[in-house]
Amino acid sequence: MNAIDGTDRHIKSTDGPPPSLLTIILDTNPFAWAHLSSILPLSSVVANLLVFINAHLASGNANEVAVIASHNKRTAWLYPTPAPVSAHNTNGDSSSRNGAATHTQNANKYQPFAEVETNLLFNLDNLLKTTTSDDLSTTTTQIAGALSTALSYISKSTIRHSPVDPTLLESHALVIDDGNLTSQRVNLVSRILVLSVSGDLASQYIPVMNAIFAAQRQRIPIDILKLAGDTVLLQQACDATGGIYMAPESPQGLLQYLMMAFLPDATARKWLVLPSAGSVDFRAACFCHRNVVDIGFVCSVCLSIFCSPNLPDSTCLTCSSVLSLGGAITAAPALIPRKKKKRKRVAGDGSTPGGSATPLPGNGTPVHP
Amino acid sequence: MADSDGEYIEASDDEYMGGGGSYGTRGHGKGKKGQRGDGRAKNAWELSAKTGLESYKESADGTIGKSIQEREEERKRKRWLVNTMLDAVKMPRRRRSVDLSIYERDPEPGIDYTMLPSLPYRTVSDPPVPRAVLLRKWLRKDTKAFQRGIIRHVVLVLDLSEAMLEKDMRPNRYFTMIKYTQEYVREFFEQNPISQMCVMGMHDGICIRVSELSGNPADHISAIQGLRDPKSSTSKEPKGSPSLQNALEVSRATLYHTPSHGTREVILVLGALLTLDPGDIHKTIKSCVQDRIRVSIIGMGGRMHICTEIVSRTNSGDESGYVVATDQELLRELLLATTTPPVIRSSVPTTDGAAAPAESGASLLQMGFPSRVIEDVPTLCACHGNLTRGGYTCSRCKAKVCSLPATCPGCHLTLILSTHLARSYHHLFPLRNWIEVSWQRAREKGSKQCMSCLSDFPEPPSSHTENAAESLTSAANGAVAAATSHIIAANGRQRSGDDSNEDELATASESFRYECRECKSHFCIDCDVFCHEVLHNCPGCLGGAGTRNDEESADTEMNG
Ligand SMILES: [Zn+2]
Ligand SMILES: [Zn+2]
Ligand SMILES: [Zn+2]
Ligand SMILES: [Zn+2]
Ligand SMILES: [Zn+2]
Ligand SMILES: [Zn+2]
Repeated sequence: MNAIDGTDRHIKSTDGPPPSLLTIILDTNPFAWAHLSSILPLSSVVANLLVFINAHLASGNANEVAVIASHNKRTAWLYPTPAPVSAHNTNGDSSSRNGAATHTQNANKYQPFAEVETNLLFNLDNLLKTTTSDDLSTTTTQIAGALSTALSYISKSTIRHSPVDPTLLESHALVIDDGNLTSQRVNLVSRILVLSVSGDLASQYIPVMNAIFAAQRQRIPIDILKLAGDTVLLQQACDATGGIYMAPESPQGLLQYLMMAFLPDATARKWLVLPSAGSVDFRAACFCHRNVVDIGFVCSVCLSIFCSPNLPDSTCLTCSSVLSLGGAITAAPALIPRKKKKRKRVAGDGSTPGGSATPLPGNGTPVHP
Repeated sequence: MADSDGEYIEASDDEYMGGGGSYGTRGHGKGKKGQRGDGRAKNAWELSAKTGLESYKESADGTIGKSIQEREEERKRKRWLVNTMLDAVKMPRRRRSVDLSIYERDPEPGIDYTMLPSLPYRTVSDPPVPRAVLLRKWLRKDTKAFQRGIIRHVVLVLDLSEAMLEKDMRPNRYFTMIKYTQEYVREFFEQNPISQMCVMGMHDGICIRVSELSGNPADHISAIQGLRDPKSSTSKEPKGSPSLQNALEVSRATLYHTPSHGTREVILVLGALLTLDPGDIHKTIKSCVQDRIRVSIIGMGGRMHICTEIVSRTNSGDESGYVVATDQELLRELLLATTTPPVIRSSVPTTDGAAAPAESGASLLQMGFPSRVIEDVPTLCACHGNLTRGGYTCSRCKAKVCSLPATCPGCHLTLILSTHLARSYHHLFPLRNWIEVSWQRAREKGSKQCMSCLSDFPEPPSSHTENAAESLTSAANGAVAAATSHIIAANGRQRSGDDSNEDELATASESFRYECRECKSHFCIDCDVFCHEVLHNCPGCLGGAGTRNDEESADTEMNG
C-alpha cells in the first residue's frame, strides 16, 4: 500500500547507476616493455586498452575516463590532454583541448570514443618521442607520482560532482551521518586501474604508502593488472583499498582479463564474486638498502625500518636519534601491563595522604561512609 | 590527614544538599607563584577546602554571573585564587568547523573578565570568511618535521561525575561524550596503530578503570558502550564529583610499566568545574612530571586554574594541551585533535626543582612483517586456539595468528603490518606548505591548469590594468571567480598574530594558484587541501615536474 499513498517517494532520489570515473595508470617503462615485446607489444596493449575504455564509456552515459602514463622519470597525462604551458590563450573546457589533438571527424565513430583515442595516441606518441637518454638512466617507473596525480584528479572530480559544500573534506564527512548528505557526496564512483610492468618499486615506498592510505580513506579501489615485475607494494595497495589484483599467466589474453575482471565498477562489484587475492605479501622495504624484509628493526622514534640491527654509531639513519639495542634482541616490547601487585604498590606510595581516598585499580568501593 | 578527609566528605555532602548542580568551583592552588613548603601545603589545602565551601554556599542560589563577582571579591580578600572563567556565556557558537586555531589560543587564566570581549573570537556578525581562506587556515598545522611520539601509551580519563548530566550538549554531556569517545578510540587506533590505550572514569570521587591498557580498539569501544548501557553490569550513571588527583595517580600507576621508548599521556575529559582531591594535587603533578607523563585536558564550560597548571607543568610549560569545549561539535574536534602524535621535546626546561628525565629512550625494536595465508583446511590459530582458514604466519616461528598487530604467542615477536607503520610516516615527513602565487609569478610561469587535476586557472590580467581585468575575469568565469572580491577583501583584513609556522600567512592566493616550493608546479586550492590533508604527497615532485631541481625531488622521493 505504500506505493499508493506515496510514502516511499523519497527513498530513491536518483535512478540508474551513478557516474563512474575510471582512472587508468599505464606503466610506460621502456625497459619493461622492451622485455615484454616478444609476448605482448605495447601497441597491442594500447589497442586493447582503448577497447576497454570504450566499453567503460559505453556502459554508462555519464561515465568518464582519465589516463595517466607513469614513465621513467616523470608522469604524463594521456587523457585528458593538459594545456601546453605557454602564454598562448586557450578557451574551452578541459575535455576538448586545442592544438595537438585535432582529430579528423569520422562519421563512423562514436564521438567520445574518437576523442579519447586521438588524444591518448597523440599524447603517448608525444611522450615516447620526448623521452631522452637521460630519462632512461633509471629503470623504474614513477608510480607514486602517477597515483598521487590520479587521486588528486579523482578528488577534484568528486568535488565537481558533489552538490555539497566541499569545505567538508572526507575526514569530516563522519560528522554527517544523517545519510542524506553522505549519499550525495559519493555520487561519483571512482576507481584506479594500474597496468603495471615494472618491478623495483620499493624505492618509492613512503609516497606509495601515502597514496594507498589516501585511496583507502576516499574509498577508491586500486586495481592492479600486473604483467611483469615483482608484486610487493602493489599487492598491498589492492588489499588495503579493496581492489582486484591479477597477474595473468598468459598476457596475450589481456583484453579478456580487462573485460572480465576490471570492467565492473564499485557499484556492480557488490553483486559479483571477485577474483580473490589469496595470500598477500605484506613484507616491508628497509630504508637503508630498499631490501624487502620480513623481520625488520624499527626505530621507535620515527618507525624507520632497517634490515639489520647494526647501524653506524647506533644512530637512526632517518632521524639520527641514538638507539639502544636492548629492546631489539630481548623480545617483547611490553604490550600488556603485567603484575597487578606492583601497580598497587606504586599507587600507594604516591603522594596520597591517608591513602584511603585513592582507590586501588578496579576497586569500586566509594569513599563515602 | 584524617582531618582533611573529614573536610572533604563534609564539603561534598553539603554541596549536593545545596542542589545547585555542579557549577561550584573551588580553587586551591596558590596561583602561579610556585612551590610551597609541605607544612604550608596542608594548611593551604584545608583552608581552601573551607573557602571553597563558603563560596559555594554563597553562590548556590545566585546566578552564575553573581557567583563570579563574589569570587572576584573573595580572591582579593583571602588571596586564594578562584579560577573559573565561564566563557561559555560569552563565547559565540562556532559556525564552521574549520577555524580551530582561534580557539586554541585561549586567554590567560586569572585574567580580568573585562578583557574578554577583545579576544579574537569571531562573532556571528562578522562577514563570512571566504572558503579558500578557511581551507588554507585549516592546513596550517603540522607541516614542520617534528619528531613525534609514534608509539603512544594513552590513558583516556572520562568524567563520570554529576556535571556530566548538564544539558548544554544534546541529549546531555554524558551521552555526547560516550558517543564521541567511541568514535575517538576508533580514529585513535587508525592513526596510531601500534599504540596502547586504557580508559578510566572519574566517578563519585574515585577513579574507576573502564578498560585495561591494550591495543585493541574493540575492547575500549565495547567497554565505553557498557558505561551507558543500563543492562550492562559495568553501567555507570554520572554521580558525585571528579577527583583529578585520583585520576592522575591511577593513570600514573597504569603507565608506570610502559617502556621508555613510548610516550605516556593522559587525556582527560573534564565536565565539572571542580575537583575533590584527597590530598595535595601538586605533589601528584610533580610525580607525574618525574614520570614524564604528559597530561592534556579537554574541559567543558569553563577553565580551571588547576587544569592549566597540570597541563603546563606536565608539558614543560606548554599550555596548549588545555582546551575547553563549548559545544559538542568542538568537543568532538578537540578529541580528534589529540589523535595526532605529540611532538617529542629534546630538552625539557626545568621550571621547578624536580628535573624531568630525558623524554624518551629511543630504541631499536625487532618486528616481524608476516604475510597473509589462505588455507584449504582449517587449522588452529596460536592466539585463541580456534579453527580458522587463514591468518598471518609469524615471520620467525611460523605460528598462525588471526589478526595484526599482535605479539606472537610462540616467540614474542611483535607482528605488525607494514601499513601500520607507514600510516605514521606523514607525521615524520610532512609535505611542506605550498605558497601563494602572485599574478606576476603566474604570468612568469604561464601556468594555465592545475598540475594534478587539470582544472583551469583564471588568466592573469594584463599588468597595467589589473583591477579592470580583475572584474572582467570574474564576470567571465562566473561562479569560480565570484569569490575573488571576497578574497581580496579578506586579504586586507587578515587576522594578525597567526601562529602559522615559518613566515607564511594563511591567505588565499590572488591568482588561485598555489606553488610547491620544490618542484615549482602550480595547484588549485582543492588539490592543495587534498594533498596536505589526505595524500601527503606532492604530485608534481613525484611526477618529476621539477626537472631543474632533480636533487631536491629525488630527496623528497626518498623521504616521502
Ligand atoms: Zn637495509
Ligand atoms: Zn629514527
Ligand atoms: Zn586467534
Ligand atoms: Zn613467532
Ligand atoms: Zn587541482
Ligand atoms: Zn612539488
